[in-house]
Amino acid sequence: MDFTIIIEALPLLLKATLVTIGLALVSIVIALILGFFTALARISKMKLLKIIGTIYVSMFRGTPLLVQIFVIYFGLPQINISLDPIPSGILALSLNAGAYLSESFRASILAVEKGQMEAAVSMGMTYGEAMRRIILPQSIRIAIPTLSNTYIILIKDTSLVSVITVTELLQMSTLIIAKTFEPLTIYLVAAVLYWIVITFFTVILDRFEKRTSRHLA
Amino acid sequence: MEVIKLQNIKKSFNENIVLKDINLTVNKSEVVVIMGPSGSGKSTLLRCVTFLEEPDGGIIKLGEQEVTAGSQMNKQRKNDIRKLRQNTGFVFQQFNLFPHKTALENVMEGPMIIKKIAREKAKQKAITLLKKVGLADRMDHYPAQLSGGQQQRVAIARALSMEPMVMLYDEPTSALDPELVREVLQVMKELAKEGMTMIVVTHEMAFAKDAADRVIFMDDGLIIEEGSSYEIFNNPKEDRTKRFLQDVSEEIVLE
Ligand SMILES: Nc1ncnc2c1ncn2[C@@H]1O[C@H](COP(=O)(O)OP(=O)(O)O)[C@@H](O)[C@H]1O
Ligand SMILES: [Mg+2]
Repeated sequence: MDFTIIIEALPLLLKATLVTIGLALVSIVIALILGFFTALARISKMKLLKIIGTIYVSMFRGTPLLVQIFVIYFGLPQINISLDPIPSGILALSLNAGAYLSESFRASILAVEKGQMEAAVSMGMTYGEAMRRIILPQSIRIAIPTLSNTYIILIKDTSLVSVITVTELLQMSTLIIAKTFEPLTIYLVAAVLYWIVITFFTVILDRFEKRTSRHLA
Repeated sequence: MEVIKLQNIKKSFNENIVLKDINLTVNKSEVVVIMGPSGSGKSTLLRCVTFLEEPDGGIIKLGEQEVTAGSQMNKQRKNDIRKLRQNTGFVFQQFNLFPHKTALENVMEGPMIIKKIAREKAKQKAITLLKKVGLADRMDHYPAQLSGGQQQRVAIARALSMEPMVMLYDEPTSALDPELVREVLQVMKELAKEGMTMIVVTHEMAFAKDAADRVIFMDDGLIIEEGSSYEIFNNPKEDRTKRFLQDVSEEIVLE
């Protein structure tokens, strides 16, 4: 292995790592919002909302992410919706993760004991107040482990948007290799960078999880 | 003066007729104890009073308010039911405290969120209530850090925080270890003495003897017999009541 190549490539790879982190962060925020409201739609009593939510989740869980990326980036321009690579990537990643998150949110809301909703409404709270004050704070705690997991998978999935020319970490590595012809060295460096990023977030999320479940028996 | 009046309450779950035709009036400051075998519909009756279960038919009157069961749900009706619930304190067998909130926060929640009372004022009120149920030194504990008896006393304080016109208790001591039953019953007796109107589903005969103005015996979705605790315990008229009392006293002997 040639260390000068690593040192020369590192600044570009680090910059690309920031793109990867950025993609993951923006996508997870959108996915959280999307997943949250989809979960509410799926447990609501309104049929139409339920159906829309169910179809969305089923479609995005039932097809490969790579196909979703292709449909959004290469397919949509045919009906005059052209998005740049980065927005396309973010859209695909958030829609995909949102579908998974809505499942964990839904399960975690349903996992809160029935007596909690009853205690809240029996005092005179509205459904919304009971959700906001009593059910959701508890269900988020229940959901945190699966949320962390989805986020870690999302970081890995960002590498798939390299196929639509987003210069995130993997795409940047490939570009550098085209010039240096050192695939083993550069891909290993990329792997280490992914590993560092993922370990970093895993540790943070684990701590967060411990802190939030402090008072529960 | 009547506080709560249930008229012709009926409730079925699918084919299972659980409440056949319940009529019950409770006056101000009256303590009514409901007894009856398991599955006779006692919990369902209490839950119907606050529409945790919607009765199939009947009328529930609380103070000046009257809510008719079984009609279509709309905004006005939702508000009526909410108002009814604000005026009834419900105490569950399993306490159902909010596990992510301290004892104090549990008791502040209703006044703050539902009655929109300022935090500081709600806090003072909650402190007073927790002192009243003997938990002044446990206010900052989370439910998981409290014994069952303490949790149930917090739950009573939480129900009282809404200043209800009537308290409903569904077997409040059934989930407790025997040595913790007394402290909860003590708080309930105290409230009864202060004039709180209460409907209590319980099999605690001693509580009924001490505190009940009236004992109701339910079986199979019907009120079979009612009277003073003395009448019901010493001179039951109906066979079913006799049999039930026999069973309950045998259980006590066995313990
Ligand atoms: N949510 C429900 N769905 C279906 N059946 C129910 C439900 N709640 C109660 N029941 C039935 O109603 C009957 C009376 O139950 P319950 O009111 O809990 O009796 P009790 O409190 O006197 O033991 C039982 O047969 C029970 O199975
Ligand atoms: Mg019961």
